[in-house]
Amino acid sequence: MTTAGEEFIRRMAAGDRDAFGHFYDRYAPLVFPLILRIVRDRTDAADVLQEVFWEAWQGASGYDPARGTPEAWMITRARTRAIDRIRAVRRRSETFVPPVDEGLAPASPEPGGDAAERAEDRGVIRTALNQLPHAQREVIELAYYAGLTQTEISARLQQPLGTVKTRIRLGLERLRDVVRRAT
Amino acid sequence: MNGHETYETLAAVYAVGALDGDDLAQFEVHLAEGCQPCATALRESREALARLALGDTRAVPPAEVKSALMARIGTAPRAAARPSRAGWLTWAAATAAVVALAAMLTSGIVASRYEARLGQMAREMAAERERLQREEAALELLRDPATRVVELRSPSGSNAIARVIWNDKAGGHLIVSNLPPAPEGKAYELWALGGAQPRPAGLFQVDASGRVAQKVEAGGEPPKGFAVTLEPATGVPAPTGPIVMASR
Repeated sequence: MTTAGEEFIRRMAAGDRDAFGHFYDRYAPLVFPLILRIVRDRTDAADVLQEVFWEAWQGASGYDPARGTPEAWMITRARTRAIDRIRAVRRRSETFVPPVDEGLAPASPEPGGDAAERAEDRGVIRTALNQLPHAQREVIELAYYAGLTQTEISARLQQPLGTVKTRIRLGLERLRDVVRRAT
Repeated sequence: MNGHETYETLAAVYAVGALDGDDLAQFEVHLAEGCQPCATALRESREALARLALGDTRAVPPAEVKSALMARIGTAPRAAARPSRAGWLTWAAATAAVVALAAMLTSGIVASRYEARLGQMAREMAAERERLQREEAALELLRDPATRVVELRSPSGSNAIARVIWNDKAGGHLIVSNLPPAPEGKAYELWALGGAQPRPAGLFQVDASGRVAQKVEAGGEPPKGFAVTLEPATGVPAPTGPIVMASR
């Protein structure tokens, strides 16, 4: 079954600008909060958002549904570009380490479409991260949202590298279980 | 840790983007060799992380991003859209290289990192191809006796200079030097003068060295001159900002 998102990407690959417009309307509100959470500055986040969608337009023909959903395709790309941005900032000021604990404004339900239908299992999945043991949650957040590598996490938490790796694996396994059950 | 469990751990660390050093190299080789369980684990982890991110928070993206993107995809022909005849060989060679590399890499499971590199290369090549096409088209235009070159200067006497290579039938090219980058949230807009109203002829930004070259679409009355104003980054249908450069 082809989802609406996949159909948009297929049409984008054929050069359909309208499809790109629809694709943007659907996915920009989904990926923007992640970008904002990572880079924190709204102007930087807007730049990254534009870069991410420009790449999606340019790279639409390279999308393969067998390798992942359009959501994962866009989120992975958005996370990577946002981390690139903060790593560049961090290189400029060696001491800068983004805080990981403060969240953004609390979630509010979004209007319409299958995004709304997903709202329920979203809640389940968000809770899943909160329910992870603190040590597992911490390493996943430092890696995924703050862009630290395993070596950097190990130094920051003063924990052996092996411990950091194991915590990441256990935490991620648990998250995958929750997603598998929610779908 | 021994055996495949090592790889399961590496796959998880890779999925959250935290693998580095020898581990990274080792895992990428393993993935490129076609380990199906690791590829599946990676895909599932990415889906789970995506779902997590989607459930994160709500924030409305700024409206100007969409308009900037729509303008961008409207003006820049997409990679490999219409190779010019003169650029065909370069294009074919570049395409062949990408295809060959893609075939090589897809013989196993393609590690996402290689995909990213390949994407980066393809983007660079596409940008290069676009630049070549633009230059060739400008050169071609100069061969046409009906083409004229209009010079735009800054009224304030700065050393910014622009030339529009213009052909009433084919449109033209704008080439700018020494123009300072537009302030945050602003862009330069080119206007074709001579009709009842100035006709918008394209938004542009200059690079760090104050240069840009871009295509100008044909249309409207044959212009008698051109001007550049500073406008909001999304562009405006009629000039509102100060004149930065104009033809005499």
